[in-house]
Amino acid sequence: MNINIKAQNSNTYDAIVVGTGISGGWAAKELAEKGLKTLVLERGRDVKHVEDYPTMLKDPWELPNNDQLSAEELKLYEKQSRTGYTVRESTKHWWVKDPNQPYREEKPFNWMRGYHVGGRSIMWGRQSYRLSPMDFEANAKDGIGVDWPIRYSDLEDWYSYVERFAGISGQAEGLPQLPDSVFQPPMELNCLEEHFKESIKNRFDRMLTIGRVANLTEPKDGRGMCMHRNLCIRGCPYGGYFSSNASTLPAAASTGNMTLRPHSIVNRVIYDENSGRATGVEVIDSETGEMIEFYSKIIFLNASTVNTTLIMLNSRSNRFPNGLGNDSGELGHNLMDHHLSVGASGQYDGFEDKYYWGRRPNGFYIPRYRNLNANNRDYIRGFGYQGGGSRQNWVAAVRELAIGKQLKEFVQTPGTWTLGMGGFGEMLPDHSNRLYLDFDKTDKWGQPTVVFDCELKENELLMRKDMMEDAAEMLEAAGFKNINTYDSQPPPGHGIHEMGTARMGRDPKTSVLNGWNQIHSVKNVFVTDGACMTSSACQNPSLTYMALTARAANYASEELKKGNL
Amino acid sequence: MGGVIFAPSIFGVLSGCTATGDPWKPVLFNQSQADLTKALSETIIPETDTAGAIEVGVPGFIEKMVNEVYTEDQRLVFLEGLDSFNSACIEATGNSFADLTSEEQFEYAFEMNRIALTEQPTGLPDFFLLFKELTMVGYFTSEVGATQVLRYEPVPGYYDGCMPFEEVGRTWAT
Repeated sequence: MNINIKAQNSNTYDAIVVGTGISGGWAAKELAEKGLKTLVLERGRDVKHVEDYPTMLKDPWELPNNDQLSAEELKLYEKQSRTGYTVRESTKHWWVKDPNQPYREEKPFNWMRGYHVGGRSIMWGRQSYRLSPMDFEANAKDGIGVDWPIRYSDLEDWYSYVERFAGISGQAEGLPQLPDSVFQPPMELNCLEEHFKESIKNRFDRMLTIGRVANLTEPKDGRGMCMHRNLCIRGCPYGGYFSSNASTLPAAASTGNMTLRPHSIVNRVIYDENSGRATGVEVIDSETGEMIEFYSKIIFLNASTVNTTLIMLNSRSNRFPNGLGNDSGELGHNLMDHHLSVGASGQYDGFEDKYYWGRRPNGFYIPRYRNLNANNRDYIRGFGYQGGGSRQNWVAAVRELAIGKQLKEFVQTPGTWTLGMGGFGEMLPDHSNRLYLDFDKTDKWGQPTVVFDCELKENELLMRKDMMEDAAEMLEAAGFKNINTYDSQPPPGHGIHEMGTARMGRDPKTSVLNGWNQIHSVKNVFVTDGACMTSSACQNPSLTYMALTARAANYASEELKKGNL
Repeated sequence: MGGVIFAPSIFGVLSGCTATGDPWKPVLFNQSQADLTKALSETIIPETDTAGAIEVGVPGFIEKMVNEVYTEDQRLVFLEGLDSFNSACIEATGNSFADLTSEEQFEYAFEMNRIALTEQPTGLPDFFLLFKELTMVGYFTSEVGATQVLRYEPVPGYYDGCMPFEEVGRTWAT
């Protein structure tokens, strides 16, 4: 009896955070800084900033086989490598091996992820945009899904709060559909991008701005500024971009209040029928296979959209036979991503005497311009573009007549300027787009596996025509030649922006979370990763997860003090 | 997550070559395939005031790519391509490619390159262009290719989006 009480005490904290990616790192930092003893659980291995970035300083010639995996090894990453750019010899340690982490595709779905401390905050694209007042009002206005229970004004100060800490570089533009952040100095556009910017401003009254990106252009809090190596995905020795490892987890650790436990797969949330609250989580130690319980007053689920939803669906009890907090039946539904890989590129004659210095880990952004004031297209909502300009290098010379000495000379002068852009489109929440668990097919730890049943619907498919044709039209108007349009039609998940499967809403009958990211019916459990998203907007979502997490953590801590949780 | 990278590249994201300068001991290619790989890669990128393909280890790079990164089908197509190239060379010149003088090698390879670019139906994989591409990837991601023929800055430090080309001097390796 005594022993059990001791064990329970040593496994008891004020707060438990599940996951260490973008949102989990923020939950850890905010809760620990509020003085809460916080246990942070990560299903993968530990990754220490800098010392666990094995390839960060490798030059091209230090990587075997042109940084490509062998055909044999690539079989371990069949799903993870579907983007074509993510799994390399220099980055393979950041991605799960698919045979170890099976999931089923009732319809194709690209679920790409890494299990380690820092999660995808190590490999993310770092594009950081606020949602706008329009985005939070859109569902109510269009009668789509459910209304967000919050408005932009609820989140505005929290955006500023997280931006000041994370460090977002960008240019203030004063656009209502894309509110400005608290910015570090912007990176530069190059000659051709400037030309393109002027052209689309004059011809279409559309805005092009430098990407807003979580790369430092000024040093910050012990982190160095971006050195423009464009090797972010390997981990940055300077701390030049925001990741949990470089930013939030060290801040959480410095309070002395955080306990970080890697190799800890959360199997389920423990729900107590008598109190109507969650009392802790059940963890599978991935190294020993041991099942351990940890207890706390509040729980933050930040395992990333799909895994947070898996944990909730797997947390079944008499009160919640279909998963924790799933009174609405919406848990696992309304799965969204951003739809992309559609756009155009072209070549430009000019600026032959101009070039650039550095490898800017960023491109340009064309904020949404469709359906801003009224729906005047055959679809609702809209898209933004991300793209970049550059000069062709030696690669283009494969298709030149030169060989020998002439080839070596030819490649020393850079080739034609090219510019490409691809749309990032909003995907509507749809109840039929879902994930669910297969309880009969379990993984090596005995957990049920995820099944995806999700596809782009009519609104997205109609939007994609504009995403392709508008890009070509703008390039043509700007004097580009050899314009190529493309639509590679990847399945959802390809944007690596999964969201929406435990949505926020005003009514417990139609949503899982309330306006403070609490489970409606289990108030001491908060979900602040992408699962909470009520609509997707078209902006890259991570900055919104940061702001929602900081806001919810502040609320949770205040409610705890008041004795309400 | 980050999205699309618009490198003007037919290879996707480029990075590296392990050309080490060590003597190459073929493990996949037979003697005639190895001799052709050396001679043809050096013809495409010869020694000038900077090292050529052989010295930076391109033949070994090509074999390793074909042996490890290629699928079995791709590997068989490439090996067959090496043999066919040599047979065609013998038929046309009476000698295997490796036994031609360097002038003859240049002329023959120049013609094969021209035919591939101007007479081949587009879209079909052409052995010569595949070999040329592998040679160029191996060479320009080697230290010599990246730093002496092209320009490479491991830590650029900043981005200047529009500057006179002469201040950079040579094409960026990456």
